[in-house]
Amino acid sequence: MRGSFFEGEGVALSREAAQSGVLFPEAIRCALEDGMAQDESIVLLGQDIAAGFPFGATRDLAGVFGEERVRDTPISEAASMGCGIGAAMMGVRTVVEVDFAGFLLLGLDQLVNNAAKLRYMSGGQLRVPLVVRVGQGPFGAFAAQHSQAQHAWLASVPGLALCVPSDAQDAYTLMRWALRQNDPVVFAEDMRSYRTKGALVREGAEASEAAAEGEAAAEGEGSAEGEAAAEAEDLPRARVVRPGRDATVVCFGFGTLLALSAADELATHGIELEVVDLRLLSPLDEHTIGESARHTGRVLCLGEDPLLGGITAMLAAAVDHTAHGTLIARLGARHWPTPFGSSEELVYPSADSVVAAVRRLIEWPNAGQAEITNGDFQMASMQ
Amino acid sequence: MALIRNFEEAAYRAYERNELEGTIHASIGQEGVAVGVAAALRDSDKMLSHHRGHGHALAKGVNPKRLMAELFGRADGVCGGKGGSMHVADVKCGFLGSLAVVGSSIPLAVGVALAARRAQEDTVCVVFFGDGGVNQGVLYEAMNLAAIWKLGVVFVCENNAYAITTPAKKVTAGEGVQTRAQAFGLSALRVDGQDVEEVAGATRTLVAEARAGQPALLECLTYRFLGHSRSDPPHGRYRTREEVERWQGRDPLVVLAHEAGLDAEECVRLDAQAQAEVHEAIEFARASPRPTAEELAKDVWGDV
Repeated sequence: MRGSFFEGEGVALSREAAQSGVLFPEAIRCALEDGMAQDESIVLLGQDIAAGFPFGATRDLAGVFGEERVRDTPISEAASMGCGIGAAMMGVRTVVEVDFAGFLLLGLDQLVNNAAKLRYMSGGQLRVPLVVRVGQGPFGAFAAQHSQAQHAWLASVPGLALCVPSDAQDAYTLMRWALRQNDPVVFAEDMRSYRTKGALVREGAEASEAAAEGEAAAEGEGSAEGEAAAEAEDLPRARVVRPGRDATVVCFGFGTLLALSAADELATHGIELEVVDLRLLSPLDEHTIGESARHTGRVLCLGEDPLLGGITAMLAAAVDHTAHGTLIARLGARHWPTPFGSSEELVYPSADSVVAAVRRLIEWPNAGQAEITNGDFQMASMQ
Repeated sequence: MALIRNFEEAAYRAYERNELEGTIHASIGQEGVAVGVAAALRDSDKMLSHHRGHGHALAKGVNPKRLMAELFGRADGVCGGKGGSMHVADVKCGFLGSLAVVGSSIPLAVGVALAARRAQEDTVCVVFFGDGGVNQGVLYEAMNLAAIWKLGVVFVCENNAYAITTPAKKVTAGEGVQTRAQAFGLSALRVDGQDVEEVAGATRTLVAEARAGQPALLECLTYRFLGHSRSDPPHGRYRTREEVERWQGRDPLVVLAHEAGLDAEECVRLDAQAQAEVHEAIEFARASPRPTAEELAKDVWGDV
């Protein structure tokens, strides 16, 4: 089976998806701009952000808001992250940008030991309204260190929320949401999405006023109940981006585009695929996953990290937990570092491999577990 | 200083009676640093600390009863019993937190100072670390940020000469942290940490500079009279009895009593007063319940 998924009928999205509308990084830029205009406490920290390098998500913001609020940092990820946390503790809402997944590791002590735990360890005295933007997945043939997927690690840390937007509009919506939270949010941007485009409607004045009510300083318990209510009401749910009856793909980020593309292809063969776009991996919307699983009875969990310890294992467990008896398959990355060049396509799932995995899932006669890596398809009976 | 000394002695005894869980890092012998630095600060100034931070917390005004209850892991602890000895914060006092990963509180101070700048306040943030923290890379990243952005951070190195068992001299190249700080353009002083007046004087000088946007470093030469934690004897394995006794001869409480001209009677009275306060703190901690599972589930993220 090895390699066969790449030789089938071509349904993969082209590398530069020919969509119309606003580029994904531009949508993030719009969200930052609108958020910063509304909330003067917001400060951005990161390398080369005044210039908007490398993907344009902070382009021109220094010109609009000044370099006091759009601060270029030295190449010091640990101190930049720590500085962002310290400022956030004192009520300065901070967005720390880390361009590539590999660089996040230098700031991970600060993120995991401090940002995620300060509120808990202080018995609720401290809040850390921090947003960390970080690239994930493969992009631009940058190879093993720039291109990696860390979703399972990040989702496993209590005290962090993990956003995984799939299109330009949702990147905007989720970033505006993240900028209203009083606890840390990791905003994981699939780098393959940077070249995708989509329609964008920016939040209007009404929404902005409602959002302003959600703001709060990082101290005191006086308004804690009100804040809590706002947060609970506000939590973005997973969404069914395409309804279907034969099988479900539970996915996120660029994987959602792969699943939608696969659904188009499968529809030509009479297979109706339901696509559930998770939007957040933590907190995880198990309710929506369970509803879709009970509806179709067959679920493909799609992720970008390896199957061993990867996010798809957690998604499969969520399916089993909420809809026991569902036939579950997982499609993730090969257990390799990302190779250089276009060979990266061998590692990560594609629309073709989603199509093939869904076909196998539908053909599978009995309830059981199916394990599928890209180009290396395995299914195991539960017996 | 008498309060810190008595507080930590009492906590240590409670630990030996198995009333305290986990471990405990006493700063006995180093009280002059905590008190000298805190004496030079305003209430509105902020402080960050490390795993050996009870003295810093008390010096910044944290209530001894609630601090003791935190060490006991009780619901009336200053962090609800969820932080414990190594993770204490009392935001109302400006004590923003002691953190257990060596050096990890350092860059937070840069952010706290940045927030003060944004609010157009001239408060400073003091961050403590030891000679062990001197070799964490993030210290130099943080010094650089504080220097290029001209932020009100005062880095305070409590050089007690040992990172657990490892002598600072064996693992620290060059002249030490004072000259390293000067290389970043920080104002940097080195003082006798056993002399609380000297610490306070130097801190006042540096804090005044920091308020005006000149970050600074203070290195205090000091010594912990006990081991690193309970598992470690005061002397024998890596410190000689002679060395420990020589430093005990420079007990910061005795140095102060001498400088302030206190007679024995006055010293006994101050000590008894501190003892009574600590006794009350122990009783308060004992009487406080453990946090419930419901309380332990709170303050994770969002509304939970």
